[in-house]
Amino acid sequence: MDKLLRSLHTLGALVMFAGQVARSAFTPPVYLGETLRMMNVLAKRCVIPVSLAVAPVGAVISLQGISIFKLFGAERMLSSFLGTAIFREYSPALASVMVAAQAGSSIAARIGTMKVRGQIDALAVMSVDPVRFVVVPGVLACVIVAPLLSVLTNLLGVFSGWVFAVPIGGVDHGAFMEHLTAQITPADLWIGLGKCSLFGLGVGLIAGYLGLNVGKGAADVGKAANDTVVSTIVLILLVDYAVSMALLGAGL
Amino acid sequence: MADLTPTPSDVPAVVLDNVSKSFGDHTVLDGVSLTIERGSIAVMLGPSGTGKSVLLRCLVGLLQPDQGRVLVFGEDVAALDEKRAADRKRLFAVRRRFGMLFQDGALFDDMTVFDNVAFPMRLHTDLSEQAIHEKVSDRLARVGVAHAEQKFPSELSGGMRKRVAFARAIAIDPDIVLCDEPSSGLDPVMSATLDELILELHRTLGMTFIIISHDTAEARKVADTIGMLANGKLVTFGPAERVFAENHPALEQFFTRATVGPIKVV
Ligand SMILES: Nc1ncnc2c1ncn2[C@@H]1O[C@H](COP(=O)(O)OP(=O)(O)OP(=O)(O)O)[C@@H](O)[C@H]1O
Ligand SMILES: [Mg+2]
Repeated sequence: MDKLLRSLHTLGALVMFAGQVARSAFTPPVYLGETLRMMNVLAKRCVIPVSLAVAPVGAVISLQGISIFKLFGAERMLSSFLGTAIFREYSPALASVMVAAQAGSSIAARIGTMKVRGQIDALAVMSVDPVRFVVVPGVLACVIVAPLLSVLTNLLGVFSGWVFAVPIGGVDHGAFMEHLTAQITPADLWIGLGKCSLFGLGVGLIAGYLGLNVGKGAADVGKAANDTVVSTIVLILLVDYAVSMALLGAGL
Repeated sequence: MADLTPTPSDVPAVVLDNVSKSFGDHTVLDGVSLTIERGSIAVMLGPSGTGKSVLLRCLVGLLQPDQGRVLVFGEDVAALDEKRAADRKRLFAVRRRFGMLFQDGALFDDMTVFDNVAFPMRLHTDLSEQAIHEKVSDRLARVGVAHAEQKFPSELSGGMRKRVAFARAIAIDPDIVLCDEPSSGLDPVMSATLDELILELHRTLGMTFIIISHDTAEARKVADTIGMLANGKLVTFGPAERVFAENHPALEQFFTRATVGPIKVV
């Protein structure tokens, strides 16, 4: 009961925090330079892990897919399955999970460190709102970088799938491309990108909140980073499931 | 600073009126009242752990006292709540008149020394990058860290960090400079150099300084107002000559470094 109350309290605080971040993001001063800097930092941190994560997934879909589609003599259709799976599900989920793991932890650790070392107070004394200066840029960077990464993972996932389907699996290249382009609709692309932005928003907010509300010492900074990763990944997977169900239900 | 309404010149820089602050059941400040006039240099002495840093944090609204008023140029900082947007605006307006040297420096780890000092200038002034460059270099040269401009705080010695933090505190020529132990960790020559810089800034720009110090030589050299905090109370406070003349036992103990006296180490 006590635990439930505490969770509710945290949830309420998080919602209030989100409101404050939203207000700060859309009213001046907005620290654009910080936002660009954060985007750069986060993109660099995420690009390799996210590529390493998605390439094998494309490959596995092709490998498994071929053996099953062959049963029906439909290997030519493999790419339509591959494309949908990558664009709609794997690419957004993997890109977001990597953003959570890399960007979320680094944002929470950076803000947490600034907090325990008095730098957040120093900002405040210099009349700089810490939410505007350190949280908003991190949130915006996550919201923008996550979908950009998913564009990359879309291409990489399909490419690695192609490698295992066409040159290795012997599927006809023309058929592969034809079914790929026929099956993937703009909606698939936009839904994937939208999910990434949504997850990026969640990662940035939770990282910022846990970073600013860190405990007192170095160990607490590690805890904030760790909690950010675990809670955002769980959240991403749950919300992803809910969104997919809802969209399927809506016939999209 | 341009965007602030001028305050009548007879309003003191800082007035504390019966300020108390506790953490849990530990009372750190117990009804402290004092007035610091504009353009003065006040040095606050006191044993370690009595609440000197807490007092400074109350002045800039980083801590809210449980009771009492904290007037900065007439504005009651203690009544402003940083979480409320309207209050935050007023609090920020007051804070823009402060420069603060934190006890442990609080430099930004991911910025170079140069960028740390330039930071408040870039935010709060219209100076060109060229002008900022000149001013930052000048300030860093005066505190003797010109050679470390492009280093990061983690690459500096403790004393260097302190001096960079001082340079940042005075970066935008604030009306009031709060210094939490500016000379701790500095060698005697450097510490004297810093004292002279304080005196010069005070003379030329009329800055008000509130300095926390354990260095009695520094207090004698720069202070025109002296205060001593012990056990949550202001045991003595006033013009330096008077305070030195009346020679309060706690102050005397401090100056003579005696282990026997009103200040007890428990
Ligand atoms: N945020 C806080 N939470 C709880 N207690 C605090 C907090 N800040 C300060 N204190 C307590 O208040 C007392 C005064 O601390 P403060 O830092 O003001 O001492 P000080 O006079 O500056 O000492 P020193 O000369 O060693 O710097 C200490 O006992 C400290 O434990
Ligand atoms: Mg202190």
